Amino acid sequence: MASSLSPECTPLKTTYDTCFNAWFEGYLEPAVSKTPAERTAYSKEKADEFEQKCGKVWKDYKACVQNAMKASGLEGALQQARDEHSLAVPPKAESSGH
Amino acid sequence: MKFFSQSFLYDDNWPIVSLAYFLRYPNPYASHVLSCDVISREQTPTGTLLTTRLILKRGNLPRWFPKQFVSRAESWLVEESEVDPYGKIVKCRTRNLDNVKVMRVEELVEFRQTEESKTLQHTEVRITSGFGWGLTKRIETYGITKFKQNIQRSREGVHLILGLIRQSRLQPMAIGHGPFPGLPHHTPTSDCSKEAHKESQAASLSASTTGAWSRVRNWFYPQRS
Repeated sequence: MASSLSPECTPLKTTYDTCFNAWFEGYLEPAVSKTPAERTAYSKEKADEFEQKCGKVWKDYKACVQNAMKASGLEGALQQARDEHSLAVPPKAESSGH
Repeated sequence: MKFFSQSFLYDDNWPIVSLAYFLRYPNPYASHVLSCDVISREQTPTGTLLTTRLILKRGNLPRWFPKQFVSRAESWLVEESEVDPYGKIVKCRTRNLDNVKVMRVEELVEFRQTEESKTLQHTEVRITSGFGWGLTKRIETYGITKFKQNIQRSREGVHLILGLIRQSRLQPMAIGHGPFPGLPHHTPTSDCSKEAHKESQAASLSASTTGAWSRVRNWFYPQRS
């Protein structure tokens, strides 16, 4: 894992990344994928698993980074970029000819 | 505006390539990445995962570029991604946050599983300069040239991580007990076995550190006491 933008958040980031990545490895290979209902149930199960295993460190890490961003003025720059292009929309990589 | 696109086929299946892609920092081919933070991450109602990461990279200004316009040769990037484990698709968009007047770079990367269970990566980049002063075209051409040079390195980085994940899955205990043959010489490997031992102790203490990742991590970020 690379460092955090703020050295004081790096230990939290390391713990979070380790926890997330172990979870993510399983998330990438869902055991079920048949019906939408099964997907919803499985997604909920994975979300609960994440919350239970990594929820606390994710909260702490996020808060640490947010504070560091506020202190450095990065938050404003990010907000400006968000205003320019709506980031709320998931990124779309339109697949043109390969 | 300059545009460039390229496709590449990985022999590995989608879950492992996607994992390697998200684990790609740090690697010896990405020493210019100074920091990388997740600033938001959530599961959508349809079960996909949306992530926003904030990345700081060390940049290189061309020698001919008037230095007074850019305060420092570092650049903040925002990387937004959506992972769909059911459709087996990763979509990822990266943009620079600062110096956008000088050069705005938008990169779109997509990973899809093919019918043969391989993974197709498609990359597109758009580079736009609003700099003026007769330099616009030169800046855009410079940006595209750099991008083409770097795309190969970034792929080598993903390949390296892929190899580590593959190896760790085949021989769970082998990794961390000797230098990985594929690692270039400049990778820090000091105190490797000692750190690996510490790591394995830590791993046994916490169930959340299991999996290929914790073993791969050893290579790049041995735990410091």
